[in-house]
Formats: sequence, structure tokens, C-alpha cells
Amino acid sequence: MTARLPGPPPAEVPFRPAARRFAEVVCPPEVRAGQRAERVLHEFGLMLGALPPAARKALAVVLVLLDQGARLYPASRGRRFARLDDRVADAYIRALVTRRGTVAWMVKRLKGFVTMCYYELPEVQREIGYDPAPYIAAVSRRRLDSYGPQVRAGEAAVTAPADEAKP
Amino acid sequence: MIRGLTEQDDITGELRLECGAVIVGSGAGGATMAAELAEAGVDVIVLEEGGYHPTESFTARTGRALRTLYRDGGGGIAIGRPSVLYTEGRCVGGSTVVNGGMSWRTPARVLDRWAEQEGLEAIGEADLDPYFTAIEARLSVGLQDPETIGRDSARFKAGAEARGWTVVENRRNQLHCAGTNSCSSGCPTGAKRSMLVTSIPRALSLGARVFADCRVDRVTRSGPGVTGVTGHVMRPGGRKGPRLTVRARTVIVAGGAVQTPALLARSGLRPASGRLGHGLSLHPNALVTAFFDEDVTGWQGVHQAFQVREFLAEGLLLAATNFTPPMLAALLPAYGRELGELMAGYNRIVTAGPLVEDTGTGHVRNIPGVGPQVFYRLTDYDAERAVRGVELTAEALFAAGARRVLLPFDGAPEARSPRDLRRLLARPVPKRSLQLYSIHLMGTARMSEDPRRGVVGSFGEFHGVPGLFVTDASIFPGPVGINPMETVIALAMRNARRMVERRDRYGL
Repeated sequence: MTARLPGPPPAEVPFRPAARRFAEVVCPPEVRAGQRAERVLHEFGLMLGALPPAARKALAVVLVLLDQGARLYPASRGRRFARLDDRVADAYIRALVTRRGTVAWMVKRLKGFVTMCYYELPEVQREIGYDPAPYIAAVSRRRLDSYGPQVRAGEAAVTAPADEAKP
Repeated sequence: MIRGLTEQDDITGELRLECGAVIVGSGAGGATMAAELAEAGVDVIVLEEGGYHPTESFTARTGRALRTLYRDGGGGIAIGRPSVLYTEGRCVGGSTVVNGGMSWRTPARVLDRWAEQEGLEAIGEADLDPYFTAIEARLSVGLQDPETIGRDSARFKAGAEARGWTVVENRRNQLHCAGTNSCSSGCPTGAKRSMLVTSIPRALSLGARVFADCRVDRVTRSGPGVTGVTGHVMRPGGRKGPRLTVRARTVIVAGGAVQTPALLARSGLRPASGRLGHGLSLHPNALVTAFFDEDVTGWQGVHQAFQVREFLAEGLLLAATNFTPPMLAALLPAYGRELGELMAGYNRIVTAGPLVEDTGTGHVRNIPGVGPQVFYRLTDYDAERAVRGVELTAEALFAAGARRVLLPFDGAPEARSPRDLRRLLARPVPKRSLQLYSIHLMGTARMSEDPRRGVVGSFGEFHGVPGLFVTDASIFPGPVGINPMETVIALAMRNARRMVERRDRYGL
């Protein structure tokens, strides 16, 4: 079943090459399997769509700073983040997150956002042993089998005339 | 089609409405107020900015829940050093749809403190007892059925008891909770008795009208009193839809501790105390991640089954709470291959942590072009207690058999034994390195009988503005130290009945 509202429409992922490279670095290496990186970016776009415009802009600024700031990283040899090889990209991110201050904090938040999108992918969840749908179905049945009459009575009481002692 | 419920798709043009009382927000405070007033025959309209999402629509998909049930995708940030992540519900039913359903009465010591400091009337334990009793009956508050208690909770309880600490079973608003552990994504069985499945349907059945997807921009006034509210209908993606005007002699604001002061300030309301938006407490939480040798499958079983109450006098509450993989991955201080290795052991992880009864040093400010922004300054005292809470949590987890724990400080220090833990914490932990989050925001429109100290009086009425009420956690004069939902509901019920007693004064 779906919600009556599907939620906000996805937003366009800003600076997509940098965002994709960032996902490849901060997510586990399996993100490169199949279309996972693209699907992470799709989830990322969905989440961006739920953010207020100011937060979307702030994230875009973080991405562009991350991308262009790499040029100042000595090992990058003047390249932007999206063009760095794996070893240098990883070292650059590690250098950023181990610093103190606003930049490190913002990169960590972006990392949290992107890795959340990765672990939202159903096959990734199954790989780590998380598959809630069958479990939810089973315990929901157990609830009704064990307590069906009490559950129905409790639900009906919601709209019944007030019978509790009025304070 | 639900009688009395209107959603964005039902509204094609400008909306002009009239009623006895208009309520802004449909969470614990707003929904309770709606049901109480409707039962007394008051013509009630509830305006909710978020959408209406029925129980049947809920799944365990974290991202989808964040996008549809939470404000700003769950990405609230209280700016400070350290900044604190927070979430608020934004849907019909408000945060009760996505909270853990912990239902605790306000501690007597807290009520006594509020009464004494602020001169509040009728707020003692005996005064509120009948309201708590009524709420607990209506929301089916009780202990979990034993078969629904997960192994993560059981482990944490065992660890705390091994340390000799007091552990209590959680009281939750649940009707034979199935233990799906989906509280934060919306309960898929309806067992959690959120406002969505209790006070909202009750209010609707009693004739109240509920408008989802309707954002209120201003409270309107004429002379000293209020005349209603204006706003607009929300369209997909947060776009502004048709205008909305509701005329009412009584306006009840219940948008939570961030949105309520922001709305009142936008409306030009300036209490003499200057306290509107100030005094924010948020019960900072920290997350300790423990790894066990064997599976505990923490996602199977109730969201939170026990609380460690041993340190309540110090303002610390400890509990184990499972996080879904997306949430855990976002919070874990690791990335890349290391994150993958940690998450590969997801079923062997127990997450637990302290809640700190903080000292209320934040504020909310409207920033042009941004909206309401929360600022928060963690005091040294609160930071010390957060670190102590982390240490106690880790001790309990080691006592439960954890092989290693990750601490919520920058750099993710890892302890492999209690001795290791003591060694790590022997050095001062910089306040800025704490990683904190919050789900309990309160205190930004505080109650006080003294208009020079507070924003609203003992019964929620805005000082100097007859007919304007606030009924959410923003009226708390300080942190409540435990899960705040039942306090919000009790005060809403009490204040609603007071309004009904004086209905002629408010034109109800």
C-alpha cells in the first residue's frame, strides 16, 4: 500500500559527478556493483526533495566546496574531487573529516545523508540480514491471533462516548 | 473519504472558514485539545501542515518515512558547539506518529519545581492525576506483552541489572504492540496509540474538522484579542497553494517547540518577558554502539522495552533503542570499507544511550529566507553528564557481554573492555566532539504566572492576549527529564477543560 501522499518530488542532485564520487568513497565498496551508485543518487535526490530550499542550497554549496576544494589538497595535483583516483579521494575525505570545525561537520553530515541512502537499498539491507517485511507480517498476525478481541474492543473505544471518570 | 478530513487534493481554491476554536497542529497537544473541545460541543477546526497518512500506508522504509512524516526530512539541526541533530513529526498526528510511544507521568519533583519557580496553579501531582488516569485509559498505556521484547532490550537490561541498577519496564501507549520495531516509521499495525488513531478520529467523530496540508503563516488579531489565522494550502514539494483564512475567537497553537514560537513571533506577538523562543531544552541523547559475538537482531522486538532509572536524580535516563540500517549508517562515525565492515555485523549490534535532562540554553529565531532556526549551547555541566551517561551505558553493555563499543565522540574511539573504557574517559572529552541528537524539544513559550518570566499562564493562555493559547511542549518551564508526550497530553486535557468551564469568555 502507498501513502495518500507520495511525498515531495525528487530534487535534482547538484554537481552530480562530485556527488557520485562522494558516494563511491563514503559508501562501502559494494556501492560500485550494478547500478547501486545511481540508485543511491536517486534516493539522495528524493531526500533532497524533502529538505527546505535553504538546506538544499547549503548541501549544494558543500558539494561544490568539496569538489573544488580538492584542488588545494596537495596530493590532488590540482584536480577536482570528481577526478581523483580512489586512493587520493579517500585520503582527501579522511583529511577533511578528521579536522575540527564547520567543514568537517558539514562533510560528516553529507556522509550521513549519502550512506543513509545506500543502506535504504533493499538488497543492501538483505545483505546485512535486515528484512523486516516478513517479520512484520508474522508478528502482526501473531498479535491478532493472540489478542484479536481486545484489539478490536480497544479500537472501537476510541470513538465511544467518554466513559472514564471526568477529572 | 473520511468525514471531516480535508486534504490538499480536495482544495482547489481559496479557503475561508469560520469556527469556535482553531487549532494549529495535530500532535499530542493539538489533537487532545481538539477531542476535548469537540466533545464539549465546540466547533473545532484543526490545521495540520503535514499530510494525512493512514496506518495502512506505513512501511519499514526509513527514507520514505522521513520524507513524508517528518519535517524537513528529519534533518533538523540545532546549531551550536556541538550542533545537535533533531527531528520533529509533520503529519496528521504529529510526532506521536513517529515517536517510540513512551508514556510516563510527569515526575512529581518536576511538577513541584515548576509550581514553585513559576507560581503555577493546579499543576501538582494530585491535580494532574485524574488527567493521567483518563489519558492512560484512552491511549491504552501499559507494559509490553513479554513475547514482543527483543533481545537487544533484554541484553541491555541484563547488563544494567548485573551492575545493580534500577531498571523499569517501559510504559507505552500501545494496544498489544506487535513488536514490529517500526515506531519511527509509523506503526504499521496501529497498535501504537498515536493521535492519528486515537484523538484525531475521536475529534472527527465528534464533529471536528481536520485540514491536512495546511500551513499557518500568522495568527490574526484585532485589539487585544485574536480573530483567527491565515496561511496557505501546501502543494507537492512544499509549493504554496491557495490561501487559507480561518476566523475564530479562540486560537490554539500546538506546533511544537520550534514552530510555535516561530509562528507567534511572525504574528508580531511580543510577550513582556521577552522569553518567546528562549529557554529551549532538548534532552540531548548520545548513541553508544556495542558489538556482540552472537546475533541479537535488535530490529525484532519493541522499539524500547526498558529504561534504566538508577541515575534519574542526576538527570540521566539510559535505554536501548534499535536504529534501522539507514539511520545507524548515518550516525556511525565511519565511512567506506570500515562502515561496510561495521554494518555487516548489524544483527550483532545493540545501540543504547543516555538522555540528559539539560539546563535549557537554546533558542529559536526566525531567519528571513530560511525560516525558524534553532540555536543551542550545551553547558559544561550538561556535557559532563552526557559523557557520564555514555560511560554508564557502555559499562552496562560490557556487563551484558559486548566485545567492543564505539563511543559517540569525534574520531569514534573504540573501547574493548571496561578498563579500556576507563582509560579512554580518563582524559577530558572536548565538548565540541560530542555527537548528540534529540527528539524532545521543549520550553520556548514557557508557563509562568508572572508575565515578566513566562509567555503563557498556568492554563496555557498567552499573557495579555485573551483567546490565544499554546498547548505543546513549548509551554514547559523546563526540561521534564523523561519522555514528554504524556505531560503534553495531560496539560492539553486540563487546559481544554478549563477553557470549556469559561467558554463564554472565549466565545466557544
